[in-house]
Amino acid sequence: MEFVATFVVLASTYALLAAGIVILYRASRVLNFAHGELAIIGGYVFLSMTGFAGGSLPLAFAGALAVSLVTGIAIYVVVMKRLTGQPFYVAILVTIGIGILLKSLIIIVWRARATSIPIGSGTVLTFASGARMSQLDLATVLVAIAFYFGLYLFYRFSRLGIQARGTAENPLLASQRGVNVHFVLALSWAIAVLGASVAGILYGGRALLSPQGVVVGFSGLTAALVGGLDSLLGALLGSLIVALAEYLTIQYLDPILGEAVPFIILLLAMLLRPWGLFGTREEIERV
Amino acid sequence: MRGLRTWIGLGFAVVLATAFSVPPGVEASAPYKIGFITDLSGPFAESFTPTWEGFELYIKALNDRGGVNGHQVQVMIEDDRTSAVRTVALAKKLVEGGAIAIFGLSSSSTHRPTYEEMEKVSVPVVTGFSGVQEALPPAKPYAYSAGTVFEISGEVGGEILPTLVPQGSKVVGITVDTVGGRALLKTNKAVAEKLGYKWDEVIVPVRTVDFTPYARTLVAKSPDIVIGHYGAEQNIGVIPALRKVGYTGPYVVAVYGVGEHAVREAIQKAGSGKNLYTFSRYISIFEDVPAVQQVKATAKKYGTTKPVSTMHVNGWVMGKIAEATLKQCGWPCTGEKLDKVLSGLEIDTEGLTGGPIRFTATDHYGTSFWRLYRWDEAKDALVPVGEWLKKDKLIFPVK
Repeated sequence: MEFVATFVVLASTYALLAAGIVILYRASRVLNFAHGELAIIGGYVFLSMTGFAGGSLPLAFAGALAVSLVTGIAIYVVVMKRLTGQPFYVAILVTIGIGILLKSLIIIVWRARATSIPIGSGTVLTFASGARMSQLDLATVLVAIAFYFGLYLFYRFSRLGIQARGTAENPLLASQRGVNVHFVLALSWAIAVLGASVAGILYGGRALLSPQGVVVGFSGLTAALVGGLDSLLGALLGSLIVALAEYLTIQYLDPILGEAVPFIILLLAMLLRPWGLFGTREEIERV
Repeated sequence: MRGLRTWIGLGFAVVLATAFSVPPGVEASAPYKIGFITDLSGPFAESFTPTWEGFELYIKALNDRGGVNGHQVQVMIEDDRTSAVRTVALAKKLVEGGAIAIFGLSSSSTHRPTYEEMEKVSVPVVTGFSGVQEALPPAKPYAYSAGTVFEISGEVGGEILPTLVPQGSKVVGITVDTVGGRALLKTNKAVAEKLGYKWDEVIVPVRTVDFTPYARTLVAKSPDIVIGHYGAEQNIGVIPALRKVGYTGPYVVAVYGVGEHAVREAIQKAGSGKNLYTFSRYISIFEDVPAVQQVKATAKKYGTTKPVSTMHVNGWVMGKIAEATLKQCGWPCTGEKLDKVLSGLEIDTEGLTGGPIRFTATDHYGTSFWRLYRWDEAKDALVPVGEWLKKDKLIFPVK
């Protein structure tokens, strides 16, 4: 059970990131390579917010989420909107540029400080099965479940969610039918960055908040690719696969290889099933 | 009219002569120029910035006392961001700017190339808290270290074991996958096994942030004691992860850039500081001795950006080395003269280390002293365990 507890917590972090990558890809065919940076920036913003909010964690959390929403919208309005009509790889290169910019921001604003986010105590919950989890481990799992459930409800039942799905399917037609495509795309960026920020806050709280942490974005990206870039269910399954492979490698092969696992899985996925487990074949082949 | 011109001409001549002449005392007011290079904004800035601050505090106080031999000490600071290429370029720039010695440096990867380049221009380099085997005997020209040479501290990690666990116990070392990390585990293992301990190890990727899976791997090895050869930031991740997965035995933090505040932060996150130890070449800031009080008072006077820690003490001692060396070098001082002074230097650290720092013509590292500390939960501080351990040579010399 120890084993299950560890890999489920890892998978939950990856799932929060993978969801954002899938949302962006579905909405605008942009593969976001800056998702890890957005997550870690979210953690640092939360850290600063705890200072501004006089130590009040709910206020700091609300502030950090507001900043992430604004950041998501700003990325779309200032950068991505202008790339409409450009080849898809231009947007991908731009996200790499955004990632570099965000990394520099961590150095300039937060002096690349490595620390832990002061949320949750050292209390460890021991379950009947013998599994041990910290409060934040448990929170990470619950938040990931809630995030996916919320996304399901949003895309399935809300008017805006249906408009978002329509935009993803055919932006021109959606526009002609009166859907405000730019609003929908900006909202997609906002939701994706919000998910990344939540992942970054929880990750920085239960592990370590550090510029090195941006590599977690790559695990999220791999999970999204393995599951299928346009499938949220696939992202969830991909996260479980990546986390399980990583854990088994660390435990039974060699801990040093742990970092390489997402890269290996990514290569295998690209070779064997580039559209992922649940992805749409035609679309991924274009990429 | 002609007389007026003559007077105006004379007036200009006087003004020009005054402006460009060298009045007595100008030479006496010229400063000693030394360079300091470290990581101030790169990946290890958290660990290295305090050493710079400790050095700066010492030099500020020194200059307020009138400097050395009637001259102020001007420190030119540069940020290498833990890049060896950058460090060498910055060292050359500092020498061109008039620096007669280089202090500090960041991670071990920056040391060897800087030693080599500075030897070419006859400028001594005194490294701070990390150290490479080039600083050990046989002495290399212009290469000195007041820091922690990995081969030495790895052996110390083995030598402290009898104080903590009985012979035959299982020791598990954990570090990051770097040349320094592997050297530390290798020497720690050699000494541990020589002393009759069983050894196992876990090496994790450099960019690891979430240590939980690695902690579970470590616990599966059933350790009686764990020694972590990590920097400050990793300890904040490793200690809580170990406690979370149920390891409650002794954990020893080898102090490489690990300030006491980082230990406290890790403990807060872990929920308990029980069975937590550190060992260090420099005294803990928690020790109530006059020299530590002086460091704290100076920090209060001039201010620091980081919480005052044993790393500030490390930088402060480097400041002492700079002062003593310049004093003996006299005025004017050059790199060559400074090197001659350094190769016969002995300074009393007033209790900031377990004994004096002494360089000789054949040994540019000298005898080092190491102290084991235990986290006292009641005092919320580190308390010494036993006396300083004297380390004057390697048990397993580097081949």
